[in-house]
Amino acid sequence: MIWRTAWKNVWRNKVRSLVVIVSVTIGIFGGVFAVAVMNGAIEQRVDAALNNEIAHIHINDPGFRDNYDIQLTIPNLQETLHKVWYTEGVEAVAPRVIITGMANTAAKSAGVQIIGIDPSQEKEVFQLSESTIPGTGDFFETESRHNLAYIGQDLAKELNIIRYILDESVLDSLSVKEVPQSVLLKLEPFVGKRFKSEKTFKKEMKRILTPKEQHNYGRVIQEEAWSFRERSRLTLTFLDRNQVQTGAVFRIAGIYDIKNNMFEMSQVFVKNTDLSGLTGLGPEEIHQLIIRITDIETTEQVNETLREKLPGLEVMHWKELQPDLAMMTDLVQQFYAVFMVVILAALAFGIVNTMLMVVLERTKELGMLTAIGMNKKKVFSMIMLESIFLSLVGGVVGMAVSQLLISVTAENGINFSSYAEGFEAMGYSAHIYPEISPLFFLMVTILIIVTGVLSSIYPALKALKLDPADALRTE
Amino acid sequence: MKVLEIKNVHKIYNSSQVQVHAVNGISLSFEQGEFAAIVGPSGSGKTTLLNMIGGLDKPTEGEILVDHTNLATLKSTALIDFRMRYIGFVFQSYNLIPVLTAKENVEFIMNLQKWNKKKRDQRTFELLKAVGLEDRVNSRPSRLSGGQQQRVAVARALASKPKFVLADEPTANLDSKSTETLLDIMEQLNREEGITFIFSTHDARVVKKARRVITVEDGKVISDEQK
Repeated sequence: MIWRTAWKNVWRNKVRSLVVIVSVTIGIFGGVFAVAVMNGAIEQRVDAALNNEIAHIHINDPGFRDNYDIQLTIPNLQETLHKVWYTEGVEAVAPRVIITGMANTAAKSAGVQIIGIDPSQEKEVFQLSESTIPGTGDFFETESRHNLAYIGQDLAKELNIIRYILDESVLDSLSVKEVPQSVLLKLEPFVGKRFKSEKTFKKEMKRILTPKEQHNYGRVIQEEAWSFRERSRLTLTFLDRNQVQTGAVFRIAGIYDIKNNMFEMSQVFVKNTDLSGLTGLGPEEIHQLIIRITDIETTEQVNETLREKLPGLEVMHWKELQPDLAMMTDLVQQFYAVFMVVILAALAFGIVNTMLMVVLERTKELGMLTAIGMNKKKVFSMIMLESIFLSLVGGVVGMAVSQLLISVTAENGINFSSYAEGFEAMGYSAHIYPEISPLFFLMVTILIIVTGVLSSIYPALKALKLDPADALRTE
Repeated sequence: MKVLEIKNVHKIYNSSQVQVHAVNGISLSFEQGEFAAIVGPSGSGKTTLLNMIGGLDKPTEGEILVDHTNLATLKSTALIDFRMRYIGFVFQSYNLIPVLTAKENVEFIMNLQKWNKKKRDQRTFELLKAVGLEDRVNSRPSRLSGGQQQRVAVARALASKPKFVLADEPTANLDSKSTETLLDIMEQLNREEGITFIFSTHDARVVKKARRVITVEDGKVISDEQK
């Protein structure tokens, strides 16, 4: 009966209750959706890191990661591989030869990490091959007598392997994509021009286009003008195992784009057979084993097992290799909770204010209820339930609206392309797919109820302090 | 059988400037089934007396015994519970819960006492029929006239079969026809259920109906007449 009465009391003043409910709805919606976007960005970053960059576990000589000494290869490779493969939870293993060196073209050079891989085994561990930019090649699938290199888009731009060309076909494509004629007319004088670097291209576009045109069409113009010359080459130079400078010309096998500027600038992949030959390393001499496990939740467990089996080697899991990622995934849940608590604390003040007004308006009624026999516990419960109902209705509607928007945006993602450069500089994709766990909704529901309870305490105590005789005399 | 005894009760209000002796040594007793009116001018102390009888206020001196229980010995929670079981209230401004229907208002106290649904419904319909509102069971107070609301209040006061009902100026906001109807109903219920009714009133029509009239002035009983 108290529940029913409290529910009906909530709707006594519909406008006032709706104002409170709408404010809670907006607060919860804003908070939950913001968390979903942040969570989606982080989940995508972690997935990208595990699927394209670092995998789950690395095994190497204990001193190898200090200075990437070419001599520090994994001893007893076959025995080590056997132990790794027969560890429960291990899904795939790939060997790597890792050398630091320089990548050079006629125009530019850049410091890189050259990674010698077995492409077929590498594909079992990583999905990097799926990030090949169409039209630039493939992940070592074409048989070739040449040394082949698979490089990142940002490195290709830096070395002027990727250029920007405006020609008639580009203008036609831009017209199809509804770029206005006024903009196309500005691009006409540059037809046939080749821009050797992204920097010079952007500089020219900034000169001829207005800021608004840059903002609206700059990206699509850049994408259409993007050009890669097949059979492009670069020279990789490095020190061999005898510390003698050596190198070779490599043809570009393909260019990958994983929206991570730092990785794309520094990681060059070649076949380990090519690299071993150049460095003087033997076929059984590799620097690192990278491992994919079946269930990410068992990472630490599998890591520990491998450590026990391989006491002379350094075995590290992804959280140890990239503690910043680990921090994000481990601490971010607490951050979300704090974020929601702050939002709800702000909303709580509105609810307290409303409930105080309710108690004041119903002074006579509360006096009557006490007079006819409603004890303090029931009066307190009734006020508390009204407060909980207000917060819960707003909270449920807010969560429903945010879930709807999350479902819609999870399909197509949210495009932050205006900020793509900034996102990609930090290793994040500018296209985010919001994501939230059911556990988070449960946590928010509990927090909403707690907010309702806490918001009701002061007003309910005010109600309990009313003297029935005085309250009944109130006009 | 005595249901209420008031023994030399005083109520003194002390403010910073003046001391008010609202009730000044009143002693009364009420038998089961009485239909009594306490009359007196404004400020005579009748409402204060009624509040003390109902346990809503404490006497400064003296005792009030309800069914032989001294109200002063009951702690706050026990007093509220005692009121719920033994005392019914009818207020001047009806004081129905506006969000509940007539039925829900009447059964409110029975719900507090955790009556089972069958008994509760039976008693509720019985009372609403007795006050002539069996066809307005699902109406909220906003859809009832003043007289009808007061009749619901009377039904509510009688719901838990209290020892007595205290009615503080129950007819003050009613027209003459509604007053007549209400008084007839209360008189009938008094006869049929044997519940004591004690009114605090200025209304001559109430005084006319009452079988005992207690006149109070300046906090003292001036006269106590049985008709």
